[in-house]
Amino acid sequence: MRPVAVLGGAAVPCGRLMRKADDPIQVLEQEVLAGCVIDAVADAGLDKSAIGSMVFCHPRMYTRQLYFGTFMAHYLQLPTDGIVMEVLGNGMTGGLAFDQAADQVALGRADVALALGASFETGADTAAHLNTTIRATGDVDFQSACGFTPISWYAMDAVRYMHEFGATREQIAMVAVKNRAHAALNPLAQYRAPITLQDVLAQRPIVEPLGLLEVPPRSDGAACIVLASVEVARASGRPYALLRGRGFHHEGAHQISERPHDMTRLQSAVKASSVAYAQAGVTAADFDFAEIYAPCTIVEVCVSEACGLVARGQGAAAAAAGETTLGGRIPICTSGGLQSRGHPPYVTPLYNVLEALDQLRGRAGARQVPDARLGFTICELGNYNAALVHVLEAVR
Amino acid sequence: MTITVLPRSGRRAYPPRRTEVTHHFWDGLTAGRFETTQCEACGALSFPPKAFCPHCWCKRVRWRELDGAGVIYSHTTVHAAPEVLAHEAPYRLCITDLDVGLRIATRLVDVPRPPQVGDRVELVALLYEDGPLFAVRPVPAGA
Repeated sequence: MRPVAVLGGAAVPCGRLMRKADDPIQVLEQEVLAGCVIDAVADAGLDKSAIGSMVFCHPRMYTRQLYFGTFMAHYLQLPTDGIVMEVLGNGMTGGLAFDQAADQVALGRADVALALGASFETGADTAAHLNTTIRATGDVDFQSACGFTPISWYAMDAVRYMHEFGATREQIAMVAVKNRAHAALNPLAQYRAPITLQDVLAQRPIVEPLGLLEVPPRSDGAACIVLASVEVARASGRPYALLRGRGFHHEGAHQISERPHDMTRLQSAVKASSVAYAQAGVTAADFDFAEIYAPCTIVEVCVSEACGLVARGQGAAAAAAGETTLGGRIPICTSGGLQSRGHPPYVTPLYNVLEALDQLRGRAGARQVPDARLGFTICELGNYNAALVHVLEAVR
Repeated sequence: MTITVLPRSGRRAYPPRRTEVTHHFWDGLTAGRFETTQCEACGALSFPPKAFCPHCWCKRVRWRELDGAGVIYSHTTVHAAPEVLAHEAPYRLCITDLDVGLRIATRLVDVPRPPQVGDRVELVALLYEDGPLFAVRPVPAGA
């Protein structure tokens, strides 16, 4: 297996890109994504002829163009020898694209591989969209009829977590305040106006106890990450990130285990992070920052604990105390996180990789973690039933 | 070992499908029985019911009726509901740990006061005009 470098990337700001069906001017996935590809490859200092593989995020159900990946190979006029494929894994989709692109380089099938995709869905009304998503986050015949929306499971994490550890609503809500402060410094973020704790607590409930600002917004987005062999990365003469460790675990459960276990411990994140850290030869204390896939505030709290950044039961208190804020002990989600940076579900993990890459290249501007050398990304599916961790180190 | 059947008006917004394996479960539910499959080899209970044991992959399973008693592991109230369930919103959901060692996720119905983690609940059948669903409700006082 060859070492893998992350050499470049580009994305459009998260937001409402998709137009309503009756709008005379439409915005298409291929048009937006092609711009990202050209920008990302230029960012890496490469020519298109260097690209050997493309791993696409499967598009959302609203994308009219089917066989999107092979269509894009044509749209970009890009013949390749490695692979052109689409991957799908709920919220983990973008992480799987990155993971598979890394494998293309590691296996020697390509010297340069792209992980890329567009996730468009905001043209569909939220309530209508939920008709479909309840089929994804639950057993269609035994749970969906109850109306388990994707974030309803996270709400139950919040209730359980508060019960077990005595964490307060205010402490958990501070994660949203922190993430908005980070997003204010991120040009790719969907919501950038600062908010206060009172703002968060005053919102209408979405899934109790979580209100509007503690759950992800509806977002569209498109992103492209350039991965390469270390030889290609060195030859570029540009700073890059080295993929030092990778871990994955699926707990063999869909939303909940039928055998009672500690739901908020996020066993998948515990295992995936420990495997990735061991491979990288690092410990949780070594990281300068973490970019966590956490749709709701409570999820960030639980993941920060599962990944060993904060002691069990202390995640909410640590966030409220500023430990995970830029300038704090271990900054988490300097991008603004899913609540404020935005959450175009199938490509969200690519945005997280891009944030990590920019931090490690010293290109994060006003939200730069000083001298960031080591970071990790983690993404998930379900209620963290599976987790995928990538440890990245700066090479300048 | 029989659970309460609560009549409900209207039709299910999201009716489950019946199979050669699961029709027995849904028919039992209509009659006030909550049955699931148990492995004849390792003894593990499974839910939803299956033609095999998902734990040891043995294909010999038998039906077992449960009494439906358990405690709330966690709960929520959904305000932002799917269109097909908008007429029922806000609605309560919960995760219940049944005393027999199974964890299930259902609606939480007939709640007289705000529920708490650890509250004792029982499975009930909700009999709509087009068929059954199942839920849990707090154990009535004095029960």
